[in-house]
Amino acid sequence: MYMSIAELVSASMTQHQPVYELMIAQEMATSNCTREEVWHTMGRNLDVMEAAVKKGAAGDGVYSTTGLTGGEAVLLKKYRQTGHTLSGDVMMQAVQNAISTNEVNAAMGVVCATPTAGSTGTLPGVVFALQDRLDLTRDQMIQFLFTAGAYGMVIANNASIAGATGGCQAEVGSASAMGAAAAVEIAGGTAEQSAEALAMAISNLLGLVCDPVAGLVELPCVKRNAIGVSNALIAADMALAGCTNKIPADEVIMAMDKVGKGLPRALRETGLGGLAATPTAIRMEEKIFGKAQAKA
Amino acid sequence: MTVNYKSVFDIIGPIMIGPSSSHTAGACAIGRAANSIFKDKPTEIVIHYYESFAQTHKGHGTDYAIISGVLGFDPDDSRVPYAIGLARDQGITITFIEEAGDSPIKHPNTAIVDLENDSKKVTVAGCSIGGGTIEIREIKMDGFDIKPKGPLPILLVQGGENDHQNVTKQLADLTKVNDQQRYQTARGNMYEYDLDRRLKHEEITKLAENHTTMVYL
Repeated sequence: MYMSIAELVSASMTQHQPVYELMIAQEMATSNCTREEVWHTMGRNLDVMEAAVKKGAAGDGVYSTTGLTGGEAVLLKKYRQTGHTLSGDVMMQAVQNAISTNEVNAAMGVVCATPTAGSTGTLPGVVFALQDRLDLTRDQMIQFLFTAGAYGMVIANNASIAGATGGCQAEVGSASAMGAAAAVEIAGGTAEQSAEALAMAISNLLGLVCDPVAGLVELPCVKRNAIGVSNALIAADMALAGCTNKIPADEVIMAMDKVGKGLPRALRETGLGGLAATPTAIRMEEKIFGKAQAKA
Repeated sequence: MTVNYKSVFDIIGPIMIGPSSSHTAGACAIGRAANSIFKDKPTEIVIHYYESFAQTHKGHGTDYAIISGVLGFDPDDSRVPYAIGLARDQGITITFIEEAGDSPIKHPNTAIVDLENDSKKVTVAGCSIGGGTIEIREIKMDGFDIKPKGPLPILLVQGGENDHQNVTKQLADLTKVNDQQRYQTARGNMYEYDLDRRLKHEEITKLAENHTTMVYL
């Protein structure tokens, strides 16, 4: 099992294999499954992602039962149709995909948690935008997910992917890093460039807190996935341009772990600090649950 | 370093009903573990929440998720959001308790599940470590107080030295046993095996042929 980004990059370089192939081989060995079985399972995950990307942006969109989130993927879709977005259509398509997926999640719809449900829109946001941008086949999109998974496993086993342990940097930060690394590979970059993209993506989101309003995975979670996808694409582009993070990826992951452990409990998925502790958030919580829970 | 995430599908997955992998899918997994241990229909379910689980269980759908797990549902089962009503329709009493203190198993996402009926009672302490992955850190069943390190999969087998030899031999063909422990009471032994990889359905079925009371988590 690959325990560090350095090991993963070195294996990819010396064996002349893309990271997705290394991941598939490792999965076959650890699960005692055939290549067809693991490929099929990943394909199902891709299908679930695609369904959520489409569902949130179709018709009038989806809305959560609390009414705090929903319908904004549709707003983005209509805005994109004007052709005058500031950040360009690839970026805004990625953002729309991410928001759409997380709106489905907040509405208790079916999603594929990547790596978590709170950060579930980031990876689909990237891969379905790149599908159009790079004309990706279904097989290439499945490869993208194996690559993202390989990098994500290293992050999860060395740091954390839980908001309650590491803050949102552990969720959207990890998802963004996985997306950045996989985007580099699918665009033809090297594993070393993937590692740089991962390192830059995490570095950019280091310290991001987990402060869900009323303890719901809605505000600010849904829109944090917009920053997750955009950060992933920007980090991937920087790495493909030859920019480097200077601090190696494995050290960045260790830093994220330490930052997470140092965050006060109020900022680790307790709904007690950050945006969750604002007067408006407390009013929302009272309206939804009838009474305010004690605030730290 | 503890390796909790052993499969790429722990990271890309699970497919689940929202909104939270740690507080919904993970809670469902803790409920499912309790269900696998209890192996029967409970008449009473008591859930103790600690720390982040205590603070945010309502908003995260943790209540219906953990009950759906106790009922044996998968995290992507469309009945997950309705699990509490379905359980109460079966006459099951359900209580949720927000505990004020720190988690006794030292994790912010902790739930302790008590399941009971006329013939038995079990207690399962689990924590949800992120992305739907869980650890089980304490199990009280049949007079045993089992304290695993946490990471799954875990195999529990009751019996004597013969059963232990037999299981060890079968496991040797399947996977590495990372850790094992024996618990003793006047009624007999319980063997705990922490396995290196998840077993496939047919492998579990084969193991269970000779060990009908076996628990695989």
